[in-house]
Amino acid sequence: MRGRGLKIRMPSIGNDLVKQDFSPPNMDDIQRWMAAAFDLATEALENGEVPVGCLMVYRNEVLGKGGNEVNDTKNATRHAEMVAFDHVVEWCCSRDLNLNQVCAQTTLYVTVEPCIMCSSALRLLNIPLIVYGCRNERFGGCGSVLSIASDDELLTGSSFKCISGYQAEEAVEMLKRFYKQENPNAPKCKVRKV
Amino acid sequence: MEPLPKRRKGMDEGVDSWEVHPILSDEQSHDIKLVEAFAAPIINKKETSRLLKDLATTYPLPGLQHIKRVRARKSDKHPHPLEVVICLVDGAPEVKDSKEVSLTTLLPSESFNSSGLGEPFTVKIPAHPSLTRPQFEQASVHWPTTFHEDKQVTAALRGQLFTAAQKAKMHKYMMTAIRAAKAGQEQGMVPVGAVMVDPASDQILATAHDCARGTHPLLHAVMVCIDLVAHGQGGGAYDFDPFPACQFTVPDRQPVEGSSDSVAPGSTQEQRGEPYLCTGYDLYVTREPCIMCAMSLLHSRIGRVFYGTTTRDGALGTRYKIHTQKELNHHFEVYRGVTQHLCEDLAEEPH
Repeated sequence: MRGRGLKIRMPSIGNDLVKQDFSPPNMDDIQRWMAAAFDLATEALENGEVPVGCLMVYRNEVLGKGGNEVNDTKNATRHAEMVAFDHVVEWCCSRDLNLNQVCAQTTLYVTVEPCIMCSSALRLLNIPLIVYGCRNERFGGCGSVLSIASDDELLTGSSFKCISGYQAEEAVEMLKRFYKQENPNAPKCKVRKV
Repeated sequence: MEPLPKRRKGMDEGVDSWEVHPILSDEQSHDIKLVEAFAAPIINKKETSRLLKDLATTYPLPGLQHIKRVRARKSDKHPHPLEVVICLVDGAPEVKDSKEVSLTTLLPSESFNSSGLGEPFTVKIPAHPSLTRPQFEQASVHWPTTFHEDKQVTAALRGQLFTAAQKAKMHKYMMTAIRAAKAGQEQGMVPVGAVMVDPASDQILATAHDCARGTHPLLHAVMVCIDLVAHGQGGGAYDFDPFPACQFTVPDRQPVEGSSDSVAPGSTQEQRGEPYLCTGYDLYVTREPCIMCAMSLLHSRIGRVFYGTTTRDGALGTRYKIHTQKELNHHFEVYRGVTQHLCEDLAEEPH
């Protein structure tokens, strides 16, 4: 089962945050990585999960990727981004690299605007930039419901930049397809449908 | 501010050493807002009901349904015992100076029979309905309003929501969270502890502490607790073996009336008496959750959250009130102050 039983290790993560030179992606990069993110979203949809897919890219290398795994793990926090973050942490840990330094040069590519939880996690990891498809009207943390991404008054973590709107219609279409289905795990609605 | 009472340090502090404070929405905790309106005395009481009917047509006051149109002036200082709201100053026609307004500018005599009314004056009236008793009492000073009291909120504000027996339970659960926080601290973690309880069965389903430092920066105590609950339901994403104080229990199956062991295929989890995420559960956490953790609890459909002490960027009262955010699809109750002093003793700078 994907994502099950992730081992916790004790790597050496330094506390010094050094934001090194970070070159933002060009249009070719964005197209390539977003296409891969959409493949992961499709995979999530086929697994009966909310169709969101994402990649974490560091110096042209994919460190982490993920699709939503909420139903599989019975854990509502297992969004695509959270799954991908685990891979980045493991990647750094297994190479004994400083997580903060790696994250400071990592871009997240995700099909849907990160929710408030994931936006807050992106701050905690000090990710400088994200690229996303459609807005997340229900839970979005990069402007739709709250602006966690750019809240300068928050002392926790650091704010990050967003490039938005990439293949937005396609991302919305996938979400619509998902929400037409029923959630087999959700408790039955108290109001009887006639 | 009253000076803080002297207190003893240590684990022997009892239920009487702390109080539960509800964390209400901004709309509930704000001072009331006022808007300027024109009112006039009713000189001829016999005209009252006709005037009210005609005013309701001419100036219906949309959005001010909570305002009682007429107020009684009982004191002897007022020559006329009744006064009536005519319209908002903003809604009045061509009034250059609100001090020099006359009845005929507000109610032109060709369209409105204003007999029985005295000369208008300005008054401040509450702009919104009162949500709490303190707001209602504040509003009543200015102009009478209706009030649909939420008895639970009033009881909570008076500190009467929980009985001594319920407080004793809260104390017990938070002490478990504190012990977990200390166990985590001994393994080099930030001392934060969390306990998930099913209030229907009084069962502790998960006990967790922060596992972030040096392992995974997102494994805050609440995130660990949510994953442990998932483990208890046959899921889960992380392996917490290196942290023996992080534990979970498989919930007792709630017997559902009319159900047997042979469950029809296609029945929902609830029909089978199985839990769904953290629906209806109570979380006890030693300090106020951050945004990530607060939103995780919302995604998990938490029932209530009790925390000991506030945090700088806290998202359940201090910096945000995620639990009352109107746009979000789930809302929950939050209370601060359970074993507050003991939790303050644990607190370190937030990471």
